Amino acid sequence: MDLFNKRVILVTGKGGVGRTTIAASLAIAGVRAGKRVLLTEIGDPDGDYSPLARIFDRDNFDVDAEEVGHGVEACVLYSRRGHELFLRTVLPVRTLIRAAMRSKALSRFLDSAPSFNEMGVFYHLLTLLREERSDGAPRHELIIIDMPATGHTLALTSLPESLLQIIPVGPVASELRAGQDFLNNPKTGAALIVTLPEPLPVTECLELIDGLRETNMPVGGVLVNKVMQDHFTPEERAALMPVAQSNPVFGRSRFLRLLDNNKALQRLRSNTRVPISLVPEFTSSDDELADNLAESLLTSIG
Amino acid sequence: MKPTLSELLSTRRILVCCGAGGVGKTTTATGLALAAAREGRRVLALTIDPSKRLAETLGVERNLKAPVSLPEERLRQAGIEPPGSLETWMLDPQLIASGVVRRLAPSPESAERLMNNRIYKGVSGMVAGMQEYTAMQALYDFVQEDRYDLVILDTPPSRNALDFLDGPRRLSRFFDGRIFQLFVPSEEQGFVQRAASSLISRVLSAVFGEETFGDLQEFFNAFATIFTQLTRNASQMGEFLADPEGVAFLLVTSPSPAALTDAFFFRKKTEEMNLPFRAFILNRSQAYDLDRVYPTADLLGPAPSPAALSGLAKLQELADLEVAQVKRDQKLLRQLGEKAGDQAMAMALPNLTGGANDIASLLKIANVLVSS
Repeated sequence: MDLFNKRVILVTGKGGVGRTTIAASLAIAGVRAGKRVLLTEIGDPDGDYSPLARIFDRDNFDVDAEEVGHGVEACVLYSRRGHELFLRTVLPVRTLIRAAMRSKALSRFLDSAPSFNEMGVFYHLLTLLREERSDGAPRHELIIIDMPATGHTLALTSLPESLLQIIPVGPVASELRAGQDFLNNPKTGAALIVTLPEPLPVTECLELIDGLRETNMPVGGVLVNKVMQDHFTPEERAALMPVAQSNPVFGRSRFLRLLDNNKALQRLRSNTRVPISLVPEFTSSDDELADNLAESLLTSIG
Repeated sequence: MKPTLSELLSTRRILVCCGAGGVGKTTTATGLALAAAREGRRVLALTIDPSKRLAETLGVERNLKAPVSLPEERLRQAGIEPPGSLETWMLDPQLIASGVVRRLAPSPESAERLMNNRIYKGVSGMVAGMQEYTAMQALYDFVQEDRYDLVILDTPPSRNALDFLDGPRRLSRFFDGRIFQLFVPSEEQGFVQRAASSLISRVLSAVFGEETFGDLQEFFNAFATIFTQLTRNASQMGEFLADPEGVAFLLVTSPSPAALTDAFFFRKKTEEMNLPFRAFILNRSQAYDLDRVYPTADLLGPAPSPAALSGLAKLQELADLEVAQVKRDQKLLRQLGEKAGDQAMAMALPNLTGGANDIASLLKIANVLVSS
């Protein structure tokens, strides 16, 4: 899939497929592949808690990038930071910026207006993508975003287009276009869809591929997570089938699920030309999970 | 006193099903609706995005103007008889928003004009915030109407289970009349307000360019009255959701490392917000799968083939994994019960292979729900 040579990867997929764990492992794998990786999610540094940050033993990521373990840097994409950064670029006078950020009415407006939040997030991301080291190389070579639920992912990837309809000209418009240049260019941007080898998740994955394409977001690949290892020979399967079907034994649901998994994978393969990688099901404890996954991702999609 | 789910189903007017995406919230909400309708209540299930097969089973489609009943034959299959009824509606943000505008606008002509405003079109079509707001709006409207005994809300998916409550609040802050006034300067404003107005116009013209800022002003002007009304609705909604006699909040989770943390925060949040939290529902759990036996050679009958014997060893490996899962789920259910406190209960739903999209599986779920 050659994902580690992109600048930004949107890890997306329906809830429950293991998207967050994959995003974290992908970041660790990116570091092992020699990249300066920034792992992010849309959030609030003072929010309740973040399942992504939990993987790195903390409740939340900060709004400024910092190392969180395994050589990974992380931060939240925070709308308010985006607003502030943006106002700095468009307002001519410092005192005006300060007044603007202090104005309660204005901050309430920016916080609450529909899609202003997303716009702030979008601009924060753009700033991070543009950040450079003193030698001119990007500070963050690869930014990985653990995206929210499917509907919100499409809302975000379609944001530039829908906002450009409302605001076709002006400073916002030109920054939206600059962001599109990163995200919608298959050389720099990719969505990675995480799914499971089951009928419903596969259907939803195929729908998401279409949905992302409609918003001009390049789909870099599909990661099928928790693929069970099938060690049965056809003879063994045939011999066990009557036993499994007629007795409520332990092991039966997994045995029958193997068949469903194979069918679901076949359907996925025959309905899309997007590259597909399989990630085996790990039964390791939570602490080792991200580590094991990272090794597996390094070989399967590096 | 911890009420059972079946007590909640027969006494409450609103059940709110919360939970992260992918835990099976819609299926659980539908199971609850079926169980209540079977007991003779007139039930409405408000849902956001059911799977295609579930939508087909329920007979519901996108963009419908009003709720639809479960098809006749499935009502019979599910054992729902008058006065009991089950209707479903898929929430459509744009449809609900335009309904509100029509109702609150001073005249049909002005409603049309407003809905043709460029900014309105953009804003009402965006998912974020609108889904949450319209879910609450629809809930509120239907409860006022008195056509249903029980409304079950399947909340929009979000990272934190109670985010949807924040959507309406954010939107109502946005539509706060005082903010509009800053956009639409008038002679009557005092010095402070004028200063704030002028700051906002300078900032926003710089941000959006003069032309779009003009559109924004027009938009705010046109919507000022309508959204003052909406703000009032939003604050009333907050009040009626806090009624412990009429409302119950349920958290649906699935067996995952995050389940306990989710549960902890849900209980804390509902307590802080004074919302009547009543149950954790652990979905897709194997906690009750106790009737299975370990696969041994005697299952294979006399003189098993070599393939059957070598296959059995592999089947036993799968069995070991499942036994471990049952133990984990039982422990999780116990821990959820401890976290639930003295007002709420914890229960588990089985893991139905292939999901529960047909009436037969939904009935199974309904049965487990009321027997808890």
